[in-house]
Amino acid sequence: MKKQLGRLVLILIASFMIIPFLYMFMTSLRVTYTAYNFKFVLDDLTLKNYREIFYNTSFIIYFLNSLFISLSGVLLTVVFSSMAGYAFAKLEFRGREKIFFFMLMTLIIPSQVTLLPLYVIMRHLGWLNTYMALILPLPTAVGVFIMRQSILKVPRDLMDAARIDGCSEFRIFMEVVLPLIKPAIIALSIFTFIGAWNEFLWPLIATTSNSMRTLTVGMASMNAQYSVNYGLVMAGATMTFLPSFIFYILLQKQFEEGVALSGLKG
Amino acid sequence: MQNTEILLIKEKSKKRFCIKRLVGKGKPYIFIGPLSLLLFTFYVIPIFLSIYFSFTDYNIIKKPEFIGVSNYSDLLLDKTFKASLRNTFLFTLGVVPAQTIFSLVMASWLVSRGKSRLTEFVKGAMFIPVISSMVLVSIVWRILLNGEGSPLNLILNVLNITQPNWLGDSSIVLFVLMGITVWKNTGYFMILYIAGLMEIPKNYTEAAKVDGAGRWNVFYYITLPLLKPTTIMVVFLGMVWSLQTFDLIYTLTGGGPGNSSMTLVLHIYNNAFKNLNAGYAMTVANILLLFSSIAAIVQKSFLKKEKSEVY
Repeated sequence: MKKQLGRLVLILIASFMIIPFLYMFMTSLRVTYTAYNFKFVLDDLTLKNYREIFYNTSFIIYFLNSLFISLSGVLLTVVFSSMAGYAFAKLEFRGREKIFFFMLMTLIIPSQVTLLPLYVIMRHLGWLNTYMALILPLPTAVGVFIMRQSILKVPRDLMDAARIDGCSEFRIFMEVVLPLIKPAIIALSIFTFIGAWNEFLWPLIATTSNSMRTLTVGMASMNAQYSVNYGLVMAGATMTFLPSFIFYILLQKQFEEGVALSGLKG
Repeated sequence: MQNTEILLIKEKSKKRFCIKRLVGKGKPYIFIGPLSLLLFTFYVIPIFLSIYFSFTDYNIIKKPEFIGVSNYSDLLLDKTFKASLRNTFLFTLGVVPAQTIFSLVMASWLVSRGKSRLTEFVKGAMFIPVISSMVLVSIVWRILLNGEGSPLNLILNVLNITQPNWLGDSSIVLFVLMGITVWKNTGYFMILYIAGLMEIPKNYTEAAKVDGAGRWNVFYYITLPLLKPTTIMVVFLGMVWSLQTFDLIYTLTGGGPGNSSMTLVLHIYNNAFKNLNAGYAMTVANILLLFSSIAAIVQKSFLKKEKSEVY
């Protein structure tokens, strides 16, 4: 009995988490929104809202912008972080600990504090309204921390063996180290992608032209513009939600490992 | 003759050794270079700029004009700043304990039930708000709260409760925003706690059970102290996130009604891009930096104490 009650409470909590998203999806499939009508009638369902956002608004531009920026951000972060992580984990050089410490220090700086100076810098460089401004600031020190942690676990013997075989430092990194830290790379990629995809304040201020806007910014203005056309707004919201959701469904385990990895930084 | 030859060879090998060592020495810097450059340009330089501009009258377009500490003394007279400070603190004070406790309860509950289809489902469901953007969450909740046919208001209708003006009533708006934040963040912290719980060796808790400790006692005297590093992390991250709240407020209320949901970051944004007073906006940003740094220092000292106690 007690166990049954526990099950019930758990299911209630889970529903509380999911229902807003179900509601979003269901609303997106209906055009005329009648008050107090929560019945889910199959005949009413339509894809009209989706057709409309793809044809009549700049939605597709926002979507492609977000996709391009997020994927580039992932590439940039993974390459640079794993390189730096490798140096911090396996190479000896002067100032190693100090530089690593300073890098981690940047993590306590809220990005909201650096936004305005960053805006000033980007203005001077003439990079406002370009992909440069939206992509280059994406890597953070979290990546180098995750990479260093997992590269530390790569046995030195393996690398020494490669070194004796005449491998250059770069080839050791590419062919010995990288394949062994695949799970960390996947976790970092997921998190960078989701972070970049969901980023709002920086794209909001760094872009003014419609053709450079990202999904989150576009969604926010769509929300203001079509505030009563719930179906249309919810169709946009569903499309914004979908990529992260698909990622999550496919890679649930790596997601959870990623949280544990990035969260437990010292 | 022979001697000089040997010397020459020695000299040569020394030289080659040196070159190799020099290249070898440079290599690590090539590896860390790109990331260092990005972090330096986008984090370190902005901090100095932010401090510099806070002493100037600046609107991004014109040349900055040095005005001493008058931006800082303006803070004391700025009613909106005071409101934003108060709201940010209240928000943090409400959100952090709630999401910490809720995530800890959920994590220990799910772990104690063991792996089953139900627990995996609940875990997955809790994480869905985490992966979606705050803007999306805000938009969905706006319609959930205001839409006449929304499930939430239908339930209220059935219970015969008049639907409150969730986002328009200045006495409750902050609590509504807190609730949405807790709803969104709990899943993330729950995963952190689950990872922490998995690391606790089974024999610790089992030994206590053999000694006759009840479930609650085991949790309170053994599990909870061992989870302390995780808790420090959860509280710290929760604080930093709450201090930075923007997306939710911007999309849902714009700081209103009045200033009842104005936060520090929204105040920064408004000053920079609406009042065109970037110098002052950066002054407010520096206050935010101060708070985050204090939180970080407190967290570090807690962690240090923790480590010295355990090892």
